[in-house]
Amino acid sequence: MTQGNSYYLRAEGITKIYSDGTVALKEATVEIHTHEIIGLLGENGAGKTTFTKILSGLLPPTKGRVISPNGPVRFSSPREALDFGIGMVHQHFALVGTFTAAENVALSHKRPFSRIRLAKATERLEALMEESGLHVPLDVPVEKLAVGEQQRVEILKVLSRDVDLLILDEPTSVLTPLEVDELFELLTKLKQAGTSLILITHKLKEVQSVTDRIVVLRHGELVGDVRTEGTTTDRLAQLMVGQAVEDGVDAVELRTDEIPIHARRAEPDRSAPSVLHVEGLSAKGNTGDTTVDGVSLDVYGGEIFGIAGVEGNGQTELVESLTGLRVPYEGIATINGENILGKDPRVIYRQGVAHIPEDRWELGLVLPFTLAENAILGVHQWEEFRGPLGFLKWPRINAHVRELMDRFEIRATGPGAPAKSLSGGNQQKLIVGRELAKDPAIVVASQPTRGLDIGAAQFIRNLLVEMRNKGRAILLVSADLDEVLALSDRIAIMYEGRFMAVCAPEELDRQKIGLLMGGAVVCEEEAT
Amino acid sequence: MTEQQGRSESRLLRGAHRTLTGLHPVFESLLAGVVGLLIGALLMHLYGFNPWKAYIALFRGAYAGSYEIASSISRAVPLILTALTFSICLRAGMFNIGAEGQLMVGAAAAVCVALFALPTGLAQIVGLLLAAVAGAIWSLVPAFLKLWRGVHEVISTIMFNWIGRWLVLYLTIYVLVDPARSERSLSIPLNARLPVLVRGTDLSYGIFVAVAFALLIYFVLWHTTTGYEVRAAGLNPSAARYGGIRSKRTTLLAFILGGMAAGLAGATIVMGLRPAYAIYGGGGLPQLTNLGFDGMAVAMVGRNHPIGILVSALFFGGLNAGGRVMQFYGSNPVPLEMVRIVEGAIVLAMSIPELVRIFPTVKREGERFIGLLRRASLKARKGGDSS
Repeated sequence: MTQGNSYYLRAEGITKIYSDGTVALKEATVEIHTHEIIGLLGENGAGKTTFTKILSGLLPPTKGRVISPNGPVRFSSPREALDFGIGMVHQHFALVGTFTAAENVALSHKRPFSRIRLAKATERLEALMEESGLHVPLDVPVEKLAVGEQQRVEILKVLSRDVDLLILDEPTSVLTPLEVDELFELLTKLKQAGTSLILITHKLKEVQSVTDRIVVLRHGELVGDVRTEGTTTDRLAQLMVGQAVEDGVDAVELRTDEIPIHARRAEPDRSAPSVLHVEGLSAKGNTGDTTVDGVSLDVYGGEIFGIAGVEGNGQTELVESLTGLRVPYEGIATINGENILGKDPRVIYRQGVAHIPEDRWELGLVLPFTLAENAILGVHQWEEFRGPLGFLKWPRINAHVRELMDRFEIRATGPGAPAKSLSGGNQQKLIVGRELAKDPAIVVASQPTRGLDIGAAQFIRNLLVEMRNKGRAILLVSADLDEVLALSDRIAIMYEGRFMAVCAPEELDRQKIGLLMGGAVVCEEEAT
Repeated sequence: MTEQQGRSESRLLRGAHRTLTGLHPVFESLLAGVVGLLIGALLMHLYGFNPWKAYIALFRGAYAGSYEIASSISRAVPLILTALTFSICLRAGMFNIGAEGQLMVGAAAAVCVALFALPTGLAQIVGLLLAAVAGAIWSLVPAFLKLWRGVHEVISTIMFNWIGRWLVLYLTIYVLVDPARSERSLSIPLNARLPVLVRGTDLSYGIFVAVAFALLIYFVLWHTTTGYEVRAAGLNPSAARYGGIRSKRTTLLAFILGGMAAGLAGATIVMGLRPAYAIYGGGGLPQLTNLGFDGMAVAMVGRNHPIGILVSALFFGGLNAGGRVMQFYGSNPVPLEMVRIVEGAIVLAMSIPELVRIFPTVKREGERFIGLLRRASLKARKGGDSS
């Protein structure tokens, strides 16, 4: 209360009850000061997003108010909040895919019937990019950009509105370590310039490295509002999940330190032929450039092969090539000796591939479909669910969904609930459950825990480890370096479509990995 | 004070929007129907008619007795089928505007039954099959254009409506013409007609064709893997591809089924509608015109669900049947066109939830614009004073 009148905004007793009766926030009071970065911590469903949506005008509060030093403020739309000076960068981007970065930014400034001066907008954007150090190609449609680049466009879009309060929802989930450092540098710079920032994140380490104050929410309640300096990672984790995370026999450690301790490995049998064999695979990206350039790898049963790297270095195209979504122009890929290249996903699934896709909204789920309908996507033609004349065996399917809900802890009202009504964590569990229930020979998991809270992410990681221990092969692609290092038995660092190194994670220190990811060092001694 | 009012007002609108979008689809359609009727009532009032009396006449003419109900159902038959055309393709992610042309081609194909002497029973089956196949072929051309050349189906189906229309008119006048009656085509022979179901009305066994097809579509879409694939591809093509669904197949299938429905609609008219059992060429195919487009409205109100379509077609059929009674209703003869206005208003009313949502924005921008004008005029006045 010593800073009673120096706040920029004060959210007072904010309560939000959704129309279905869900209490998302209970009497939350937070003060936001200038020259400050606030970390907003909490599991999925803790109310972080609801809180920021209320601040940024997307949702009205059920109770409570937001006060500025000049009196109460109330926004009925994000545009009003932006005019006031509050901007938000969402986890799922709001970009027009066919527009370039410059056009997207210009569009966000547009009023109905106002003229768009594209040349001027481009000029301003270039200046802003120079100033902020966020660089994106300006003349390419944003749909052709990598997710990390698209996020930069989103941030630029908000920055270009001269905001006083910038809210970032999970900004680091798609960035590489180097990009994260750059982002944090930028955030610090903005802070010094007088901007207030709110950073929503699950990553304790990050929140500690950059914030001044940390606000912790749990089940809609404000359970902690602490200065970053005086707190510990363990304390934060405890506040967030409410209890100490158990360290089971096979559980991966809570990621509080530099590199978490490895889950115990079953030594894979590398004398047996590999499950997935890839040789000299080259594929083109959407723009027609070669993005996978002669990649060779072997994944054996009982191991997790992790691919780390800055996003947009060919990981997506590699995964797509191996799962039937992209036809590579060169190379060999076999599963248990059988060719998979150029085959339809339908056929590849039959050969024992499970695919946890990178983008769960775009690829993994048909959001308006029910849980039951989503649970058979890709396996709907299998005898288990398909009766004579192609009739779907609904009773069998519903029973299957209930099994999945039990086994994978998917919280939903029932098999008939639409997938879009589920929280992000439960959606991902549904996908993972569906794929693992195929009892595959190999699991191709692409960004399996992106944007999930610790609980759900940990749950999914444990499932992957469990599959590995059952002798299945797992190909893990993740932008989260800690995750790749923690889970993998072998890792590859991918840079510009090539593997820079393939080795056990212990063999490389983080600095070297960082260099490899940036393409700086060519490791001759690592030739395997 | 005024600000406070503005706030509560926008909260009211937001609340209204939430309520409307949260409505069960059935209520949304009902609401649209009511709004459409109210707009019609307002117009009738403006033109000096008594809306109350007119609507009583209309609904009496539509549903008051077995004759009226049978007439309404008979008008619903082709609408059910053309609505299915639109909604199957919409479920598959495409706008098939081509029911109109597919229906005409189907009707012409059905008339071809008159060229052969077939036994009763077989004749009906052959007629319906010919129509279904012809409709499917007519809708396959736009489908292939889409798959091979990327031609957007809205453009190609609209164009094919015109091609179909003039082709059928040509066939009616020159090829399938009745030598004795040059204004119309050959008549379907007695033993090839769909029998009348309710004596003295237009209702034929065509209703069974329509209902059976609707049920078929329902089972295909929701209870077979094929229908599952069609719906998945329609809602999220990328996820469908990920799920091993070949969207080319689902596209073709949707167009084939849709074309069959529209073709059958044509057949139910020429094979089942008294008194001529033929296509009239005079005035540009009057019996066959607009049924395809009306089917789109029926599909919208029926929420693109086969069962919903059955109900909404009965409503639209009732409007058409009752409208004829309304226009002859002694002291209060409201023209039949009013029914078309009501239908149009209903279709517009289907978008009310979205309209409510954008209202605050429209209002705010309007106020901003007025403020701008005021400032500009103030400036101009000041400028005038100083000079």
